[in-house]
Amino acid sequence: MSVVETSLENGVLWIRLNRPESMNAVNGELRGALATAVRDAERNADARVVVLTGAGRAFCAGADVREFAGREGAVDAIRGEYERILTGLRNVPKPVIAALNGVAAGIGASIAMACDMRYATPEASLVEAFVKIGLTPDGGATWFLPRLIGTAKAFEIMYTGDPLPAADAERLGLYNKVVPPESLEETVRDLAQALARGPSMALAAAKRSVNFSANATFEEALDFEFMLQGVQMQGQDFREGVAAFLEKRKPEFRGE
Amino acid sequence: MDFEFIRVERDPPVAVVTLNRPKVLNALSPALVEEFTTALGELDQDDSIRAVVLTGGPKVFAAGADIGDMAERTPIEQLQRDQTGRWLKVTSFTKPLIAAVNGYALGGGCEMALMCDLIIAGDSARFGQPEINLGIIAGAGGTQRWTRTAGKYVSMEVNLTGQPITAWRAYQLGLVNKVVPAEVTIEVAKQVARQIASRAPIATRLAKESINQALETPLREGLAVERKNFYFLFATEDQKEGMKAFLEKRPAEFKGR
Repeated sequence: MSVVETSLENGVLWIRLNRPESMNAVNGELRGALATAVRDAERNADARVVVLTGAGRAFCAGADVREFAGREGAVDAIRGEYERILTGLRNVPKPVIAALNGVAAGIGASIAMACDMRYATPEASLVEAFVKIGLTPDGGATWFLPRLIGTAKAFEIMYTGDPLPAADAERLGLYNKVVPPESLEETVRDLAQALARGPSMALAAAKRSVNFSANATFEEALDFEFMLQGVQMQGQDFREGVAAFLEKRKPEFRGE
Repeated sequence: MDFEFIRVERDPPVAVVTLNRPKVLNALSPALVEEFTTALGELDQDDSIRAVVLTGGPKVFAAGADIGDMAERTPIEQLQRDQTGRWLKVTSFTKPLIAAVNGYALGGGCEMALMCDLIIAGDSARFGQPEINLGIIAGAGGTQRWTRTAGKYVSMEVNLTGQPITAWRAYQLGLVNKVVPAEVTIEVAKQVARQIASRAPIATRLAKESINQALETPLREGLAVERKNFYFLFATEDQKEGMKAFLEKRPAEFKGR
């Protein structure tokens, strides 16, 4: 068994963090394997949607603290791998869904927030406990949190280190939906497979536009959207979508 | 003339020059540079062409020079070939030259983009001068044009670290006119070229000349050049037509005279 398991199922690539005995804490092996899995998710044309989840009772408990001790010399290499994982999830031109089967803490919370959407069980709280060991958050948490839930709640979580319960995360818009543990996989599978049958070029373009908007003014974003739409209007999926609408049938998209 | 390493498409009033060595990421061999400057010479003489787009295609602009070709070169050989000196011909091109950059524009490829008059960048574009990683420095304007465009500190960063910058950063630095989806970079560059081509060609030429003068001279001299060019344009038919059309509230028809 590998510390990161991947499987492709009906156009959906499942990436499962698999160190359940350590609550999927990120050590060097898991970090490297996850960076590779994210890179392969981009290259694999059959993977039209990506789902990230964890084995056992946690999604990811953060960095493996046992690794901290010997960390000084390797900081640059560690940082490079985290950057590849986090920017990879944000930039891969495919929908990326986090299925939070349990707590997402520290770097685990950042990995969850780097995904496009988050579905969670009631036990899946989000934790930024860095303050308790005298550190500031990493992995982009200080960038994600104010954008997702506003500065006031972001500061509360980061200053206190108290877990944000899943129900609160859902109410704040940080999680898309909280579902019972037994139906998490099914909920995410249904959604992911529906997206995998969708117009993948258009979905990818929506993601590029959202990422572009992080830097842009309203006018620049408007212009960027308009140009992307111009490209899609040349595509097969758009013709099929319009034809299906007019013929009152379900469209069959091919991602072209 | 037929070219091996570039493609020239004329769609008057615009021409598109595409670097065409995709297998080597459009590496800028001396032969390619020779073809490019020859093509520019021809396009400069072609009155039907009023603006030119330069691109490397959808994936990559140009990833520098042929390193294999250069590794064992002596300084004397370099001087005799004067590969980077050949680029000077690009700067004497009188018509607007618009770079459409997707993917990497590195080393000579970046310098080539910086020689253009406007730069349209796809969201995939990356600009950099990695020469320092090979124990040399930029040789076709990289230390000069970055400094004049983006300022000393950015120029130092790019030239001393060898790290490329993103399309978005280049845009914020004023190095790039517009960041667009990579699928439409060339089309947007052509639109800009057509817009420019619809203006009076002699005025366009003198505007370009005056702006470039700003990088060469003190302000007083630059203002004198601009002023003389401004007065000179009142000798053109296009000035009479342009102002008459404005007063008659109709679009002007410029003839380049």
